[in-house]
Amino acid sequence: MFRLAIANLVQNKTRFAVSVGGVGLALTLVLFFGAVFAGAQSRLTVYIDRAGADVWVSQQGVRTMHMSESALPAAVAEDVKSIPGVEEVVPVLYTEGVIEANGKDYIVYVFGVPAGAPLGGPERVTEGAPEPGPGEIVIDHAVASEAGISVGDEVMALGQPMTVAGLTSGTSTLVSSVSFVRFEDFAAARGEGQVISFVLVKVKPGESPVTVARVIEAQAGDVTAQTRQEFASEERKLVQDMSADIISIMNTAGYVTGLAVIVLTIYIATVARRREYGVLKALGVRNGRLFQIVFVQAFLTVVIGLVFGLGLTLALSVVIPEFNELIVLSISTGSLLQVSAISVLLAGAAALLPARQLAGLEPVAIIRRG
Amino acid sequence: MKMEAKGLHVDRVTKRFGSEDTEVVAVREVSLSVEPGEVVLIMGPSGSGKTTLLLMLGGLLKPTEGTIRIDGVELSALSESKLPDIRLRHFGFIFQDFNLLSALNVLDNVSIAAELAGVTRREARRRAAALLGELGLGRRLRFSPEKLSGGEKQRVAIARALVNDPALILADEPTANLDSSHGHETMRLLREIAKGRGRAVVIVSHDQRIRDIADRVLWLEDGQFKEAVTMAVDPVCGMTIEAGGPMAVYEGVTYHFCAEGCRRDFEENPGRFAGPSVPPAAVTNVT
Repeated sequence: MFRLAIANLVQNKTRFAVSVGGVGLALTLVLFFGAVFAGAQSRLTVYIDRAGADVWVSQQGVRTMHMSESALPAAVAEDVKSIPGVEEVVPVLYTEGVIEANGKDYIVYVFGVPAGAPLGGPERVTEGAPEPGPGEIVIDHAVASEAGISVGDEVMALGQPMTVAGLTSGTSTLVSSVSFVRFEDFAAARGEGQVISFVLVKVKPGESPVTVARVIEAQAGDVTAQTRQEFASEERKLVQDMSADIISIMNTAGYVTGLAVIVLTIYIATVARRREYGVLKALGVRNGRLFQIVFVQAFLTVVIGLVFGLGLTLALSVVIPEFNELIVLSISTGSLLQVSAISVLLAGAAALLPARQLAGLEPVAIIRRG
Repeated sequence: MKMEAKGLHVDRVTKRFGSEDTEVVAVREVSLSVEPGEVVLIMGPSGSGKTTLLLMLGGLLKPTEGTIRIDGVELSALSESKLPDIRLRHFGFIFQDFNLLSALNVLDNVSIAAELAGVTRREARRRAAALLGELGLGRRLRFSPEKLSGGEKQRVAIARALVNDPALILADEPTANLDSSHGHETMRLLREIAKGRGRAVVIVSHDQRIRDIADRVLWLEDGQFKEAVTMAVDPVCGMTIEAGGPMAVYEGVTYHFCAEGCRRDFEENPGRFAGPSVPPAAVTNVT
């Protein structure tokens, strides 16, 4: 029966190619959006991941950078530094804003970092100065490329003109990127010198960031201290929650399209061979064996479609960043397993309608009445 | 399951469709026995119940009344769930439209029937190849059905019907879609299956040519077998005909003719056509 299922499936090669292609494209849609989202999500916490801080201290109750604002007295940095287990502290200022270049605005996360700070400064500088000087800004090279600017050019940031001192890599997403300015410039632009956004903490070797974070919360007062992993996790969760509906709609659209293609393919293939299945029944083939045929056909269509979709998504993940560095595709094992599992369920669901057709098929009908 | 004699034994089988005002009796108290090695042809007008009877004989329809036994197995007493296995192992079906599986090649079309009956793939293919070779299709094993002639397709269907070594071959209009030469070839094969392989063969057909190879011809009308049919060979043209038309008596023997022209030719020179080489009229009985 397995042989017959495969033979039936591939006999009409055009129909088979269209079916597998249709399923593959539908699953590519799901995998692609998942990969874009995962890529954007991985970039979302890139600053948190690379800043070098083991513990992030924020205003009490503030657990994310997005959709909240942390304001701490500048003195908190000194309080935290005196806590046992703390090796380094760096106060940083943070805001979401825009840089204006060549008449266009680009959304950026701007960090104000003290000169020579051991934590929180620019990472992976590909061109120019390793950190901004007075009146200078370090931006992501993908944004610079998009805006057509380079080191030495002038942009508007925090409401004032700044010179691009350096370019970093790997901090840009479709919607934003990370930029760095001098702490003093940020404070001056804000007009408030005694307030900071976060305190970045590096713990002493051998100390547990979790333990130190709890001690900071207990001793510094009115602050929330989270390990880097906790802070990044909260950040991802927030964005995931914000995007969940859109992602669900995208995935549902992809799965429904895939399901429709499989159902149509298997149904049409079954109806087209109704007479042959009737002959098999007349010869003595039971319904169960005929069901095997349609399930094998649906399963193979989905598996080949999935492989095609995965291949296409992997190809896109290589090709697209070559043309647009702002788009990063990240295919995780988890999302692949999820799509695979749902695809198998789709195959089962897609086979139900044709199987029902076969169950109701009367072999008598294939022999003319005399 | 009650074991009885070999062959097909049908006892007072009736098939009704509908009930009360809408009831239709398609087959009415039909009895029939077909022994191994025998070819029985069932003829009759459209709507006479031929196919309904064939479907019941093949375990595809259950009779309303009566019993059908194949090699001692009473079909009518079996549950629906057991009939598919019986059909696979005890019956070989040959259809008007060949009904081959278009996606499979010739060899697979035959071997799949054996595999479905539980034969290993290797043995099934060996059996199929041997049968197809015997039927003159040894060079067509890898061909797709669509590349075969009508006669070749029917030979593949015959091989499929034989591959599980069934006791009974049921053929529904096996020559209807074949030209004259392929029709004769199929008829010869069906007779060879009966005589050479000892199978019981039941054919439902409108094709008068099949009378030539039938041991008995049964006439079904209004769901019942009618009077015995007398068969004869026209001594002038050699055609097998149903007695009842033009006839002549010569030296005490009655001769039947297909048409007046043959009778006139006979009467002009009876000594030329009559003689020991001319077979006398053949008479068949209904059971």
